[in-house]
Amino acid sequence: MFAKFKSISTKARNNFFGLGMGIAFGFFMSHAGATTYDFHAKMFLFEDFQLMIVIGVAVIVAMIGVTILKHFHVTAIATGQEVDFVKKPYQKGLMVGALLFGIGWGMTASCPGTIPAMMGEGKVAGFFAFFGLLIGTTAYGILKSFIQLQKQPPSAQ
Amino acid sequence: MEVIVWSAWVGGLAMGMFVIFHFWIMGKPAGCSTGYGNFCGLLCKNIAYFRTGEYETINNSKLWFLLGIPLGGLLSALQSPEAWHLTFNMGMYDTILPQSDAGKAIWLIFGGALLGFGARLAGACTTGHALVGGAMLNPPSLLAGGIFFMSAFLTTQLLFGT
Repeated sequence: MFAKFKSISTKARNNFFGLGMGIAFGFFMSHAGATTYDFHAKMFLFEDFQLMIVIGVAVIVAMIGVTILKHFHVTAIATGQEVDFVKKPYQKGLMVGALLFGIGWGMTASCPGTIPAMMGEGKVAGFFAFFGLLIGTTAYGILKSFIQLQKQPPSAQ
Repeated sequence: MEVIVWSAWVGGLAMGMFVIFHFWIMGKPAGCSTGYGNFCGLLCKNIAYFRTGEYETINNSKLWFLLGIPLGGLLSALQSPEAWHLTFNMGMYDTILPQSDAGKAIWLIFGGALLGFGARLAGACTTGHALVGGAMLNPPSLLAGGIFFMSAFLTTQLLFGT
């Protein structure tokens, strides 16, 4: 029983840290200008490089930090286990998916990370884009479930 | 609603530090688009994909991360000199998007659907692939990030007719 209680509290603590990280993410994205539509348009029209500098600096800073964390084999605060630097694998459809994603980015001047922050800022456009994101994600889920069902032998159904 | 925008260097430093602290605190790479699957799993109970694999537990830190983002945006907006209010203003985009509110809404829903479907097909979004994957120099992420930018660049150029 104690073990069960402990696992619940670990989960709650993990979720709590997740919420805190989400708040920090939304706050920084907003102040970095990633929730301002014009910065997206101006970046791709080569009129302003705010977001280009933001992502460039962020990647370099993160790269240095990741190297340091790896070197010291740091343990994660929320889980107590060693930090997992798992990399996203190549998956079938990555290039087509990335192409569709880019069209969506150009159309809405936002991405899945900035849309919830835009909603918090009172940007109505964010609510519609969020609704669209749920439709797109659900469509993928239905398609995936359907393909999985097709792959199974008839006896397993 | 205008928010206070920091200098790009400070913003980039903050985002970079965020990625590092996310690794340190959560013990895994930061990501946004995966959390949308948790949300869809909550809304649609009978889609097998949102019940298995990485979505086996829906109530996890990825879901709470997603729920935290609007609060962060709200905090940022509250620091703005103007009072918090709802607005459908999209700046430069207002000149090229459908002029009626309904048309604009449909446009955004369609664009959002492309973001959602594309992100799942590619495995991650701008955060997971371009930012975190880029920091780890992960080849599939660099490829995806490059295509994100090229595709969005072409779309924006076409939209603004330059």
